[in-house]
Amino acid sequence: MVTSEIYKKEYDVIIVGGGATGAGTARDCALRGLKVLLVERNDYSTGATGRNHGLMHSGARYAVTDGESASECISENMILRRIARHCVEETDGLFITLPEDDLQYQQTFVEACQRAGIRADIIDPEEARRIEPAVNPALIGAVRVPDAAIDPFRLTVANLLDARMHGADTLNYHEVEGLIINQGRVEGVKLFNKLSGEHAEVRGRVVVNAAGIWGQRIAQLAGVNISMFPARGALLIFGHRVNNMVINRCRKPANADILVPDDTVCVIGTTSDRIPIESVDDMRVTREEVDVLLKEGVKIAPSLATTRIIRAYAGVRPLVASDDDPSGRSISRGIVCLDHAKRDGLEGMITITGGKMMTYRLMGEIATNAVCAKLGNIAPCVTATQPLPGSEEDAPDQHDATKRYSFGQRAAIGRHGSLAARIEKDNDIDNALVCECEGVTVGEIKYAVHQLHVHNLVNLRRRTRVGMGTCQGKLCSCRAASLIGEFRHDVKGAQEDLAAFLDERWKGMRPVAWGDTLREAQLTAAIYEGLCGLDMAVNIEGKEDVQ
Amino acid sequence: MAERMQICNLSENNFEQCTKCSICTTVCPVAAVTTDYPGPKQAGPDGERYRLKDPAYYDKALKLCLNCKRCEIACPSGVHIADIIQHARMSASEGRRATLRDTLLANTDLLGTMANLVAPVANTTLGLKPTKWVMHSMMAIDKHRTFPAYSRQKFTTWFKRHAAKDQDAFPNHVSYFHGCYVNYNFPKLGQDLVKLMNAVGYGVHLLDKEQCCGVALIANGLYKQAKRQGRVNIDSIRASVSRDKREVITTSSSCTFNMRDEYPSMLGIDNADVRDSISLATRFIYRLVDEEKIKLIFKQNYKRRLAYHTACHMQRMGWQLYSIELLRMIPGLDLVELEQECCGISGTYGFKKENYERSQAIGSILFKSIEEAQVEAVTTDCETCKWQIEMSTGLPVENPISVLADALDVEATRKANLISD
Amino acid sequence: MRMDTVIMGGGLSGLSCGIALAKRGKRVAIVASGQSTMLFNGGSMELLGHIDGKAVSNPLEAIATLPQDHPYSKIGADRIASLAERAKLLLTDSGINMEGNAAANHWRITPMGVAKPAWLTLNDHLRIDDLHHLPAKRLALMCIRGFFDEPNSMLAQGLRDLGFEVDAIEFTTDDITALRRSPSEMRSTSLSKRMMSNAAMQRMADQINQLATDADLVLLPSVLGQNDDSDFQTLQAMTHKPLRLVATLPPAVAGMRMMKQLRHYFKMLGGTYLMGDSAVSGTFDGNRLTSVSTAKLADMPLKADHFVLATGSFISRGLVADYERVYEPVLGVDVDADSDPDRWTRFGILEPQAYSRFGVATDGELRCLKQGQVIENLHAIGSVLSGHDAVKMGDGTGVSMLTALAVNDHIIKG
Repeated sequence: MVTSEIYKKEYDVIIVGGGATGAGTARDCALRGLKVLLVERNDYSTGATGRNHGLMHSGARYAVTDGESASECISENMILRRIARHCVEETDGLFITLPEDDLQYQQTFVEACQRAGIRADIIDPEEARRIEPAVNPALIGAVRVPDAAIDPFRLTVANLLDARMHGADTLNYHEVEGLIINQGRVEGVKLFNKLSGEHAEVRGRVVVNAAGIWGQRIAQLAGVNISMFPARGALLIFGHRVNNMVINRCRKPANADILVPDDTVCVIGTTSDRIPIESVDDMRVTREEVDVLLKEGVKIAPSLATTRIIRAYAGVRPLVASDDDPSGRSISRGIVCLDHAKRDGLEGMITITGGKMMTYRLMGEIATNAVCAKLGNIAPCVTATQPLPGSEEDAPDQHDATKRYSFGQRAAIGRHGSLAARIEKDNDIDNALVCECEGVTVGEIKYAVHQLHVHNLVNLRRRTRVGMGTCQGKLCSCRAASLIGEFRHDVKGAQEDLAAFLDERWKGMRPVAWGDTLREAQLTAAIYEGLCGLDMAVNIEGKEDVQ
Repeated sequence: MAERMQICNLSENNFEQCTKCSICTTVCPVAAVTTDYPGPKQAGPDGERYRLKDPAYYDKALKLCLNCKRCEIACPSGVHIADIIQHARMSASEGRRATLRDTLLANTDLLGTMANLVAPVANTTLGLKPTKWVMHSMMAIDKHRTFPAYSRQKFTTWFKRHAAKDQDAFPNHVSYFHGCYVNYNFPKLGQDLVKLMNAVGYGVHLLDKEQCCGVALIANGLYKQAKRQGRVNIDSIRASVSRDKREVITTSSSCTFNMRDEYPSMLGIDNADVRDSISLATRFIYRLVDEEKIKLIFKQNYKRRLAYHTACHMQRMGWQLYSIELLRMIPGLDLVELEQECCGISGTYGFKKENYERSQAIGSILFKSIEEAQVEAVTTDCETCKWQIEMSTGLPVENPISVLADALDVEATRKANLISD
Repeated sequence: MRMDTVIMGGGLSGLSCGIALAKRGKRVAIVASGQSTMLFNGGSMELLGHIDGKAVSNPLEAIATLPQDHPYSKIGADRIASLAERAKLLLTDSGINMEGNAAANHWRITPMGVAKPAWLTLNDHLRIDDLHHLPAKRLALMCIRGFFDEPNSMLAQGLRDLGFEVDAIEFTTDDITALRRSPSEMRSTSLSKRMMSNAAMQRMADQINQLATDADLVLLPSVLGQNDDSDFQTLQAMTHKPLRLVATLPPAVAGMRMMKQLRHYFKMLGGTYLMGDSAVSGTFDGNRLTSVSTAKLADMPLKADHFVLATGSFISRGLVADYERVYEPVLGVDVDADSDPDRWTRFGILEPQAYSRFGVATDGELRCLKQGQVIENLHAIGSVLSGHDAVKMGDGTGVSMLTALAVNDHIIKG
């Protein structure tokens, strides 16, 4: 739908924030028959959703310290395995005890898991080494739990797609610059379109603040106060999958104690540091953080010491102050849903926050219940049973070795599940690979541009993995930038987009720019600056979506 | 960093050293002639990441790889691209049986033993039209191919009858890994080597036990058998080196490369203690000349114009300069060094019906350059290149050792090296 | 094995030096660990393109203003003109036909349609001497269907911004569509292999003749002639309009051609080129290097009177950066590099990066130092040298060729 027409419509609910929670809420609301608009200030899943481990917790990690979160996790974990098959890889996880850890903790841990309803089997260290050869062979104990890997980009897109298929409208690059408040009631949002520079007001009966850490600002715009405690975590991505199971340390949660196999790579994290709310947009990873991650990472899987590091990144967990504590110092555990009518006397606004990417669906359900209560809608929630688009029962499977798919087709099925059928593959040009590392074809890019809200290369990366491989977009990004320009009929922006994308990739490479990563960077410079003169063609100062 | 971990950010996983520069794709002879093959970058390091995620990502087209190693030679990052591809093929083939045709082609020594017994019959039979038709249609061995002629007498038989008894008298000694080709098809090369080595004061000896080096077995997926034979060879080589203090020399670049480099990397055979003692004869001889331990005296009236073709595996070993430098010592020899191109045969690859056309298309650049060189013969260190070039250009092809032996003034050389009769 | 000179590195600098020495009758071995970064070269040589972000119009004048640690300053600014002339001659002798003037940069056109200052450009590639007097008015930009390594739309836009009228014309031939059946291998270099036959060339010429009727000049992506410029000549003879090539994204046909021609010439002069081998260590005797061992020659090191380090920068692994330091991995000679890794790079990708200027330390004669001591018979040339920035200054190929020739002179003299 054309953006200007969206501006004129009136909605039942306007959701602010295009992370997993916002997308999940939009889907739920749409499935219950509400008229939905979702607005996101950048691209979808740019916040905490896209900046975590990609771990589908079993809940075991929280079992000892936070039983309630643990129970939520395991129940959502089981639901996501059914409804989001193409986003989930059922790897299972290990909680390992190393000689430096207290083996006593294992018992406490297993009991806590059982209390939370999480299956936790103590296995022999020998068995652990057999099922996961990458694990530190010095381990003295291991527990097997139903952890898994999940792709948050895919998950968010699938939720948005389903929301749209049920009538929702979604807008990325639309920042909320104010709320329309009339006599103590929120009646809509004031938007700034960052792509066109337009301002607009859109009316809705309820506004859901699902903006994660940035939710504090949205609340401020409404004149209410929510205290967030941003906790920053840095992670490292390695060049290929060292491990095929999630590996955790069996001890009190600490730095860099989880290694997750995510698609073609693996990710170690995280560090954890409280940061002031003003610096939540600064995602630079420091040398000290890299140091900690490596030092701890090799304890989990020694081969990380000799595996190529592709990049470093950081995210901010949106921890929220507990309303029960007048000092505002203690942190609320689990999901927080605030009805500002009850809490602050402001009608028409709900904040859904806290929680985890893992529990996004439940958060969506809780927020939607609150919306429906206000609007008098009595439709039941079906998001726990209805598969997401792409994940239907009969969806093709990338792991099916009996099928003769081309590399590009198989990779696309892995990314889009049954929706891969929408990718054109009837001629040689559509089947041509653009990103050779990740097997992204011209057809897939066409699909992403036309159907998955792709405005630029960074968007395309999140939808398809273009440029997420070992070379971080060295050759494919130019091809992809030209194609996006062609499909979007915008040549002028293509060079700037390309430069911004390479810059975004560089931001993650820089903290680990030694060894082969520095070689890679020099080659990129030789091609794009030396050979192509891209540096002379563009000015990327102040470009959006560059973090 | 506290524990000096990741100090290099240089991966031990060789495929990760790939910077995706795509240079390997420019030298792949297979991708140059067919779009069915995804090229070395896709088949190698790119594919490997996905295969590590799930073996379902294995692409059957990888069997089109010649294993010529040109990609590895071109790679500025030291990635063992062809090894990665071969390993992928190996893992994918686990539990699958090789076809009769592949087993037959791969067992060069079995085929050779049988053929030697009935050499005249075998040569006629293998050359006959009905036989070729049967091989082409029933066994998928291409009808254009002529099997190399089998010799009436094996090299080892000749050696035991005519040469063995004289060898102990020489002041220095080497062991000779003759390989299947010398033994069954072309004993003259072995005889040339004995002549050459004897002339410079080296006695030549056979190994305790020699089996086919297995290069064709590996190419045809018969890894277990290759490993068994490889162990036998390395044990024999070890005995020669440590017990008899004899270095081991060869006259085939493929056998040499296979035993030195493919044994550990493809078959997991530990040859670290003897690897440096396995050498191509030209390298061994060059060293002796270079260190002034021996002298080579060539005939005065010798005059030939030859082209030297660097076999792919020779280039991979980086040893072509020894053969070339030795040949350049022959005063009357006008040597043209051909630009390195693959001849397309790659051992048994070109023998297969499904590969014939591709094989010839790959070789066409080389054949053209041979034609343009206007030479009377070609010289190369690889026997399968020899078959291919002879079949495709009509020119005779000789091993550098034979060229040297032919040009050598034996008497003068013996005298110069103080060898009495 | 004994040589007069052993050169470590087989790229532009190593080959230039090797050719110059071999021409003087020297026995030279070049150890080349794989193909070189010339495969990223779009068909031009640069002496000096930019100083502080400003385009240089007269390189000879600008070189005189460079700081003392720049390799050109070490050679001596007064020698640049004659060395540049000799470098051009060396290229011509190798069969590489390039045009240009060391005292006046021309403009090469990049795949993204940017005009960049250049010293020499291949005769069959597009060059513009004066941006105010374009060589043609109407251009037909022939865009190969399904070929994604030429960003045609960016190129067309760039050319329009320069003042050309551009007609971007998509075309294909049977040979092109046949190659596109491969999802991954439609690269400029693979196209150039497919285009080698006269029949294929005729099919392309037919398309050009049919479609580009309205242009003064026809531009084609550089997908022709990986051996020499004869393929281009053939196509030109078949087409009715003047024709020029424009660089593509790598691997680049032009760079491949230049490398092949240089290598061929070097071998013709009797040089030994060890492709796919790499120098791994050296043996020193006091202030002299006596031999170099390679990975493949193993226990038979290369001995020589002179040695030249031409192993390139980080890309080519002539320099290595680990977590703590930058070093030269073969001989362990001294490097000029910042000791604080935080200062190697900057946050923005297009900002000048300090690491590009890192390299081995040399004395005024480009001799390497080891623990502060000059190694008398070891020179360094090309990208491995410190004090220049190929990316930001556009001096990479010039430094490679000119330092190679300067070192040749030192070796011949001494």
